[in-house]
Amino acid sequence: MAIELAGLLIEAGLRPILSFRSPEGREKIMAALPFSIDLYQTCGLDFSRRDTLSTVFDDLPQGPDYLVDFAQGDYETLVSSADTRKTDCFLEENIAFRAAFLKKTTRLMIKKKFGRLVFVSSGAAGRPNQGQGFYAASKLAAEALYKNIALELGSFGISSVSLRPGYVACGRGKSFIENNQDRLIRQIPNRHWLSSRDVAETIVFLLSDGARGFNATELVMDGGIGSGKHFFA
Amino acid sequence: MNVISKVIESLADILDFDPNNIGPETYLIRDLEAESIDLLELAVVLNTEFKIEVDDDEIFLKTLRIYLDKPKECPKDMGEYMMEKYPYLTRERIKEILEDLPHGPVIKVKDLVSYINWKN
Repeated sequence: MAIELAGLLIEAGLRPILSFRSPEGREKIMAALPFSIDLYQTCGLDFSRRDTLSTVFDDLPQGPDYLVDFAQGDYETLVSSADTRKTDCFLEENIAFRAAFLKKTTRLMIKKKFGRLVFVSSGAAGRPNQGQGFYAASKLAAEALYKNIALELGSFGISSVSLRPGYVACGRGKSFIENNQDRLIRQIPNRHWLSSRDVAETIVFLLSDGARGFNATELVMDGGIGSGKHFFA
Repeated sequence: MNVISKVIESLADILDFDPNNIGPETYLIRDLEAESIDLLELAVVLNTEFKIEVDDDEIFLKTLRIYLDKPKECPKDMGEYMMEKYPYLTRERIKEILEDLPHGPVIKVKDLVSYINWKN
């Protein structure tokens, strides 16, 4: 999704900065983006390494005007089965580190009196499947941080919105969709699961001035699957 | 421009106050009616102006009453204890703060100056 979004932003004449966790991640970005490196930037940011928090803005001392947060660790397990140490790390990385990162980012935005933040949450934040307790917990916690930033810093021209996509045919969702196609499609009222481009185009809109009314809230983008009890057509 | 002048200028700008009415003994909250969002902006401005990492809780004495509400952790000499917590404040200033507490929020412009000088 992030690559798809970066492509759309570059086509729109913007210069996105993509974060990577490892040198391999940076190579993946460069291989996936069919544009000259002059048209975008990369920076190292690893939620499991506090030191990257102090270096992430070295090349961008003014901070970003816009932030799209895709970062999410992976830990699927039943709550009662969870390894306590892994749980601590997961919550530290996905909630505490994010809070520290947002503190740094928004203080730079306060200086500029402008900032627009889009958090890419998940339909699972409100309707998790079994095994997604920690995933949902971290998404809900992050949504709360973004919501409060919008409530607290609106007078500085800073706003935020969280997007909750439903089933997206990319990353972790791709194999799930492939394995459950027939059942899934009958559950989605508009018979359409999302592509990464669908989500990227929506994010571009949410970053635009036309979407400024969406603030301090969560938007569900799931084709209607979460609006009814059970939909089997 | 020296530290106190810069601090006063920043406060006047953020709080829309006449800088001539702000001095080292001015209370941030009691006199200037600064709110938490103003203090946040001030922290960001001081961070930029003086190139220091500002700890909002520390500089604005936000945790003062929490420390005072933990008598078990406090040694007999409250002044000593508070000096450990706020190493940028002098013994005299700590004494003044403890006596002033019943009258409301105690932070003054001169405390910000002490913090900045300590950080530098």
